[in-house]
Amino acid sequence: MAQKPDPVTLEVVRNALPAIANEMAADLHRTSYNMMIYEVRDFCTALIAPDGALISQNVGGVSHFVADLGVIIEDGMKRYGRDGFQPGDVIITNHQAVAGQHLNNVVIYTPYFFEGELLMFSIVRAHWIDIGGVSTGFGGGPSVRDAWMEGLQLDQLKIHEAGKVNEVLLKVIRDNIRFPDASLGDMRSQIAACRLAFRRLDELFQKFGRGTMLSAITQIFDETEARCRKVVSAIPDGVYEAESFLDNDGILQGDRVRIHAKVTVDGGKMIIDLSGCSGERKAAINSRTFAGARVAYKALTAPLDPVNEGAFRAAEVIIPEGNIMMARFPAPMASWSTVIPTVVDTILTALAPAMKDGIPAAHHGLLGGAVVFFGVNPKTRKRFVVQSIEGGGWGGRPYEDGESGSVSICQGDVRNGSIESIELRSPVLVEERSLRRDSGGAGRFRGGLGIDIRVRNFVEGRWNLHRPSRIDCPPWGVWNGRPGGTADYLLRVPGEKEFRSMNASQYPVPADSEVIVRTGGGGGWGDPLERDPERVREDVTEEMVSAEKALNDYAVVLDGDRVDEAATRQLRKSRGNAGAVKAGAVKK
Amino acid sequence: MSLRVAIDIGGTFTDLIAFDESSQEILQAKSLTTPSDPVDGLIDCIHKARLEPAAISSLIHGSTIAINTLIERRGANVGLIVTRGTRDAYTIGRGNRPEAYNIFFHRPRPLVPRHRTIEVQERMLASGEVREPLCVNSVRAACEVLAKEGVDAVAVCFLHSYANPEHERLAGEIIREALPDCYVSLSHEILREYREYERISTSAVNSYIGPRVAGYVRNLQTRLDGLKFAGDLAIMQSNGGVMTPAAAFRRPVMMMESGPVGGIIAAAQVGMALGFRDVVSFDMGGTTAKASLVREGEAAMAEGYYVGGAASGHPVMVSVVDVVEVGAGGGSIAWIDDVGALKVGPRSAGADPGPIAYRRGGQEPTITDANVILGRIGASDFLGGEMHLNRDGAIAGMLDRVGKALDMDAATAARSVVQIAIAKMALAVREVSVERGYDPRDFAMVASGGAGPLHAVAIARELFIPTVVIPRFPSHFSALGMLMADERHDFVRTFYCELPEADFAKLLATYEDMVAESNRMLTPGIAAAYQAFLDLRYIGQEFTLPVPVTPEQLAAGDRSAVRKAFDALHEHRFAHHAEDEPVEIINIRLVATGRRPKLALRSPATGGAATPKEIRQVYFDDGGPAVDCPVYRRDDLPGGTELPGPALISEYGSTTVLFPGDRLTVAATGELLISVGRA
Repeated sequence: MAQKPDPVTLEVVRNALPAIANEMAADLHRTSYNMMIYEVRDFCTALIAPDGALISQNVGGVSHFVADLGVIIEDGMKRYGRDGFQPGDVIITNHQAVAGQHLNNVVIYTPYFFEGELLMFSIVRAHWIDIGGVSTGFGGGPSVRDAWMEGLQLDQLKIHEAGKVNEVLLKVIRDNIRFPDASLGDMRSQIAACRLAFRRLDELFQKFGRGTMLSAITQIFDETEARCRKVVSAIPDGVYEAESFLDNDGILQGDRVRIHAKVTVDGGKMIIDLSGCSGERKAAINSRTFAGARVAYKALTAPLDPVNEGAFRAAEVIIPEGNIMMARFPAPMASWSTVIPTVVDTILTALAPAMKDGIPAAHHGLLGGAVVFFGVNPKTRKRFVVQSIEGGGWGGRPYEDGESGSVSICQGDVRNGSIESIELRSPVLVEERSLRRDSGGAGRFRGGLGIDIRVRNFVEGRWNLHRPSRIDCPPWGVWNGRPGGTADYLLRVPGEKEFRSMNASQYPVPADSEVIVRTGGGGGWGDPLERDPERVREDVTEEMVSAEKALNDYAVVLDGDRVDEAATRQLRKSRGNAGAVKAGAVKK
Repeated sequence: MSLRVAIDIGGTFTDLIAFDESSQEILQAKSLTTPSDPVDGLIDCIHKARLEPAAISSLIHGSTIAINTLIERRGANVGLIVTRGTRDAYTIGRGNRPEAYNIFFHRPRPLVPRHRTIEVQERMLASGEVREPLCVNSVRAACEVLAKEGVDAVAVCFLHSYANPEHERLAGEIIREALPDCYVSLSHEILREYREYERISTSAVNSYIGPRVAGYVRNLQTRLDGLKFAGDLAIMQSNGGVMTPAAAFRRPVMMMESGPVGGIIAAAQVGMALGFRDVVSFDMGGTTAKASLVREGEAAMAEGYYVGGAASGHPVMVSVVDVVEVGAGGGSIAWIDDVGALKVGPRSAGADPGPIAYRRGGQEPTITDANVILGRIGASDFLGGEMHLNRDGAIAGMLDRVGKALDMDAATAARSVVQIAIAKMALAVREVSVERGYDPRDFAMVASGGAGPLHAVAIARELFIPTVVIPRFPSHFSALGMLMADERHDFVRTFYCELPEADFAKLLATYEDMVAESNRMLTPGIAAAYQAFLDLRYIGQEFTLPVPVTPEQLAAGDRSAVRKAFDALHEHRFAHHAEDEPVEIINIRLVATGRRPKLALRSPATGGAATPKEIRQVYFDDGGPAVDCPVYRRDDLPGGTELPGPALISEYGSTTVLFPGDRLTVAATGELLISVGRA
């Protein structure tokens, strides 16, 4: 075996491996045919060792894909064996028994050989715009009852074998999805990205040699693990718990989906036990994923560093079979990621008592306010879809206010549609996109604000107006901070005076209807009575907070554009102590 | 006597370079930057160089005033006027968080607070049709509010003003009447492209820096007039061209990134003159290294960037030379992280305290110190011997901060530091070449900056770049490039439609309208050239590629030629294309260039043998001991000289390193051409 790599080799390899994954991502991103990839960045690229260890992964994009591809390689190795792969193979898979996400997330991977030896796989998971089944887009939503309704299932199939394309398989795919040109174009981009990695890997292996490369990778894992352990060892040992819930699973009204996190810190190790979360559901919000725990752990340990196998070695995640996040095939998974933002917030809140200065209040907790309207433009007779993901408020922080109008913890560089771009493409008018005054949870540090986007459709069509699942359990505050405002979908058809709250899929509306997609605010951090009155006054001037709310929640008395200090002091005194201060405020 | 002068004001130094057209001589001078009034330093520099202001025919000026005004948040009190319903478009932005796992992320902070952002009644449709006429009274009311707020600049950005700017124009007239002392930016005058957040941000930045930059340019002109300067004053822009003071007054946002571009323009021209049409420009200074790509003699451009980084920066969507920057410069500090790994940068010792070897109190070993330890920088001939370097101090510091922890001697530690820096910079060069679809083996690297020639050959070797060019005056290359720059203006108009259905008569009319607009900004009478592009994509894609088109193609409505050119470009950039997929037009662009006279530097002497000025002990990358290495003075190398590596070529402000296996040829025009040996 090779000796320990020298510091230079180590540093060069450390930088080069994530650069390869990022280059794969850049290639896919720029050439894809579907907005889920180029706008939502709903994809990930990685290099994985034959034992499933994550060698590197792209940075940015959707965070809930963190380190989730190893299981696919482990499973592929089981199916084909080490000798079952040859150069020029391309494998395609999305089967939920292992992949555990909605079927639109199609994985392509290719084996990498150096001097005849299988050393790793380059792999790309990307959201195809259609995968067949009952509806296009997101696998049909929570009411899809099983994987067969959801679409085409591909179970570790070689779409290229030793460089030869499997035309039969290609035709089966082409004939069973709605936009075969776009999706197969995306597949070409995925394969091109995988192959791109080979050229870079060849350069590295030729330069440093097999033995040095492999031992450098081992050492990089060890150093990453040490770095994470070091952060965790600064958290006081103990067992920490928090609980929250989703209002329902999208089918059974009133049947809450329990989310519970028990976090044990023991030296540098962290055990995240999610056994207390709901069991698997008939509604399609199941998954097989460690993402909730891993996103939280990553955010706490090394949020800005590249990810590799070492990043999660000092974290043990417990999710038993049959849990909503470890559902058994064929539990439906079309809306697989719905629970994750709430799971992340619950884990973070559990740790709030242990790290008061390191945990914010809860954020809006939803995968965005989804603007989805589709129809046929009578002028051009062409189909159109309006799609945009709107952000909401993030929780107040231990030393500053939360950010407003930002996408969830599961979404990184996901962008909303610009108003001008939406109107250029589709017959709608965006009447407003604005921050919702008073939607930020009151606190010593205020939660960020949610958004209202109001859209008028010039032609008839259908709106998706699914009631958000976090209304009864709004984005919570911590340390006596107040909850943020909740999300909603509102509709007003011509002739109606008022908007009404909606819960409907593909809801038909006449021309000139208006819809408001409303996103929630973040929870507050700390007691609102401790907020600097001057900051409250600024919020009123900036119209982030109303004068009524300044008085009622913050006990700040304003005299014109000044704080009446004496009256404020007296009012705050009379309100007195809010009672025992506790970290989380979720239990019901 | 006719002098062409470029003056570049940087953070620490004000650099002057002058070209005497009669003698073909180059003159250089440097003075300290004077932050309270940078014009003082500039004029000081002219005096120091003993230039007669009346003899200066043209003065090109690059300044960091625009970027510093933004970064230091010392700009104007701006009011923003927008379409009803879009007051928060600036704050909400695109809602994204590029740092996916960072729960303490910061979104960009708008330059205009919410209470100075005022909605008025008007609405344009994407087609350019008026849905709701501009309510003149609502603009007047907005002006009253802003007057009370004491604003000194206003930005106006209405939805779809790129399609029909009439409402913005009208609002502009009202504002200029109601607030006559205010600086006003109308978004369509800065950027006629769709996407309201990016256009609002760009316009707000323009207004934010406008009053200060305009005042600065006026002051400069007045002071120069007072010195009897009668030549042309030109201002350097981020797009690699220069503009008139009047244009700078209108679009100061174009000055933001003018710092690094001079060197790239010079690299393009030096490359072309030597027969290298495709060049990687590599510039390494004290704190960062910058790489950029030149294709067919033209610098690669980006149509916008984020001031202050992608995560929390302000989008500024104007044409800018595409530069990738990494935190590796001569002053970058070597350190050991908390798990014992060796790191270099991004923290820099800067000019103060600087590297340990500079004896100004620096305690931490830097890349410069590593090069001194390795013998690649001579302790006694630095800056022509003006400054004697402390090699023993550098060795002690390197041992103390790096060597001890890694159990290495000083030379091994120094070699490791340099190699890590090389690997980092090679990734930056890779980003502008390989990752954009270009093969570095087809390129030559032109290296500049004080530290560029020290490291260029090693980086070129990493990336299989066969040839390195060290130009003349490498440490003043940016200022030299400013002397070589043409006048240039970039325009864009969104023109959204499917290619087969595009109204080419209207495209041609738009082209002509843009040409007319550019002629109003170019120096009257200058020899102008125009190049148009259509931004195209396959329907369904988001990213566009600019495809060059001629007015003749537009007049003839030659859709198939445009289509073929796009397919070919897509194939080249991304290695696949789709002839059956429909294509759409997003924007039409125009680059208007005003040709300025070229520089004709006098060539150095030819003939005669080169003799080393000394033999020095130098460490190379083989891990072995120091070897005897000849050191030549660059001035002693006549044109046509050929030398094998190892060798060092030393000149004022810089040293070129040739490793064993490399070969040097001195061009007749004086550049060092290095054929890079294989490792």
